[in-house]
Amino acid sequence: MEIYETQEENAWIFRIDGRLDSNTAPELETTVFRAIENGARRMVIDFEALAYISSAGLRVILKTAKDLKRLDGKLVLCAMQDYVREVFEISGFDTFLPIAPTAGDALRQVAPPKE
Amino acid sequence: MVRHDIGFRLRNDLSELETLRKRLEQFQTEAGIPEKSLFEINLVLDELFTNIVSCGFRDMDLHQVEITITREGKWVTICIRDDGVPFNPTSAASPEKDCTIEERRIGGIGLHLVRRLTDEMTYLRQGACNIITLRKQLP
Repeated sequence: MEIYETQEENAWIFRIDGRLDSNTAPELETTVFRAIENGARRMVIDFEALAYISSAGLRVILKTAKDLKRLDGKLVLCAMQDYVREVFEISGFDTFLPIAPTAGDALRQVAPPKE
Repeated sequence: MVRHDIGFRLRNDLSELETLRKRLEQFQTEAGIPEKSLFEINLVLDELFTNIVSCGFRDMDLHQVEITITREGKWVTICIRDDGVPFNPTSAASPEKDCTIEERRIGGIGLHLVRRLTDEMTYLRQGACNIITLRKQLP
């Protein structure tokens, strides 16, 4: 698994390439935790290149969403492959986590409300 | 009916998930498993293997987890055998070892995925071993 991190005006974007399982999930957890420590509050996790996710990956996503909510931030996921999406649906995570079709949509959803 | 088998062992280390992926890809080619079914079989084995490695052993020793997979027609049968603490994934009971509440709750999601992605799951404690047998129908 590789994690590519970029910062846009309104959000931090993490693009995950490969497989998110109990072996690789701790690396994502560390990366995201460090970003939050560095002030990240609005995050997009781009799943376009993610081929696989297990419950260990779901756990990190859930923890990130909770941490950001507590800090008045927001997490939006995007561009899920069908099989990965199915894991979110079976676990019920799609009912409380915003999932956008594309990274562009996710950036719009994650942006702070206009004054 | 044509029958395809694969059998292998994984060490009790999460890095072995990469070995699992490779073995399953080999089996997919040999047994002609559809892509989506392979993803699901991988996930089911990952969740159970991760549970065993994370919660199954009280010592720091090396253990082997034995996995066999058979395809006969539309049915795939998966068998996982380990010598960890007794743990019956077909009951709601938590693993006997001291996992944190968080690990158990997420372990619950893992087992939920396993149940949803397979058609049958049976558990047997035989001597010092847990034996989980799963059956899954291919589309």
